Amino acid sequence: MALFSNMIALSQMSQKILPYSTLRVALRGLSTSACVCKNKRTGVPKATQFKTRPLTYEEAQAPHYMYQRKGWLSWNTTNLYEEKRIAETTFEDLIIRKFIFGTWHGALTSEVIIKRRHNLIVLSYLVTMEKTLLRQIYFLKGYTEELLSTWLKCPVKVELQAIGSKAEVIFKKI
Amino acid sequence: MAALRQYSPIVNDIHRTFLTSLSAIQFRHLRSSTGHRQTERNERELNDSDSFRVYEIEGLRKSKEEKKTRRVAPKPFAPRYRSMPVDQDWTNVWPSAATFKWATVPFPVRQGYIKSSAENEGVIPAKYGNLELMKGPNFLHLTPAHIKKHCAALKKFCTPWPEGLETDGKCRHHFPVESITSDYVFAAPSIRDERARFVTIKFYLSDLELDYHARDKFIRLVGTRYNKDTDEVTFESGRCPLKAQNLDFLKFVLTALYFESWKYESWEKLKELSDMERYFWDLNASRKKCTSLLRTIKSLDDSSESNSDKLNYLPPDVSDDEALCSLPEVNKYKVAIEEIFNEGENIDTINQYKNAVKTLLNINSDVV
Repeated sequence: MALFSNMIALSQMSQKILPYSTLRVALRGLSTSACVCKNKRTGVPKATQFKTRPLTYEEAQAPHYMYQRKGWLSWNTTNLYEEKRIAETTFEDLIIRKFIFGTWHGALTSEVIIKRRHNLIVLSYLVTMEKTLLRQIYFLKGYTEELLSTWLKCPVKVELQAIGSKAEVIFKKI
Repeated sequence: MAALRQYSPIVNDIHRTFLTSLSAIQFRHLRSSTGHRQTERNERELNDSDSFRVYEIEGLRKSKEEKKTRRVAPKPFAPRYRSMPVDQDWTNVWPSAATFKWATVPFPVRQGYIKSSAENEGVIPAKYGNLELMKGPNFLHLTPAHIKKHCAALKKFCTPWPEGLETDGKCRHHFPVESITSDYVFAAPSIRDERARFVTIKFYLSDLELDYHARDKFIRLVGTRYNKDTDEVTFESGRCPLKAQNLDFLKFVLTALYFESWKYESWEKLKELSDMERYFWDLNASRKKCTSLLRTIKSLDDSSESNSDKLNYLPPDVSDDEALCSLPEVNKYKVAIEEIFNEGENIDTINQYKNAVKTLLNINSDVV
């Protein structure tokens, strides 16, 4: 009640001194309604009408099942207690994923697992042989290792696995 | 005119060249308009026989379709585990840490979670193309056979344990100062870590050669770094950027403290009885009273004629205080009094005091 009466006093005062818009800004600052929390479905793919959308195992498990039904994609020591380089490692992982997505375009059939042991970065992912030749895969492997090693200033090793087609790793359809 | 006639053959040549190039342009035009293949065929017919060209309407007759060569996807190789002998050396197959390879691991393994039969046809995903198995670190490079090989390779670098250092007590005797440092292992391109510069050294104060004054001064100088319960002194330093520098600094601190505590400053001699940190019988009035009491008893003993209840331990000459105080009975009394003051009154110190007084004064009756 005290707040309400204050507002009335404020509005009466503001009619004389302040413009109306200033008052609205002052009133807008107070919000007492509860949060709806509707937008919490990040990373959960939307189902189609006839269940035609193929998903791999990684995509089929929602992010909140991490460590219950699926493991992490980045393995490093930075998030341990009192360890450093969190931001740098996260940013490097982002760059690596972007680079591999572009370099292995059309052949990449899974997410990229980034494992770090000491100064070695090991990248492992699945590559489909549908559209790619064996020699192309060998070339791209060396190309990825060479460029990433130069940029990140540490040895990068690619341990990929080739599969016949993307259809072989479809886990379910939604 | 004469000049023109002179050049006429050249002019003719130029003309001819020009004409042929013109026809070539026309011919190219024809080729582009009617289609390459048809023109070629007509040309051939024209050359073969001198009949007219036949105009072919495009699309009327079905031309032979060129077969598109479609790339046949290469057949994947048979997985390696199919051709593995049973008695193979696994250390050669999996020599070092590597991501899980479905084609190399010879045993069947599945990983994943299925909620219903709609997922993966109701079976847990197998090892083929299974990202979950590739995620975690595996121990396929650390089997007992691997460890045996590692040990055999490392054996030539090992030396026997030095003789004379069998027990912890012997180690402490020969190496009284213990230094503690840490190295940090983490995933980063650099191996440097600023936390690695911290150095701690530990030693027992009883291992240093100190008298009462030096020991007291040492304890006062190191402050909280001395643990009274364990008699241990701990120094830690991280003020220098490198580990070796910090270790050198701590060694310097220890040396400096040792010699500093042996020094007697002029102001230290101004210490009075009230400044003492503990009770000293030799400095207190109790000593004077005790010696005077013993002298009085000696004079009484000498004057009395009976031999009973005399203090027999007293020497004939009791004029020297030092000689009196060095008697074992007096020394026992001294220790008892000092303990009662320094440690406080408890049943042990009070009993000790009682016995000391009984010995000192030769009281034989049972005093409770």
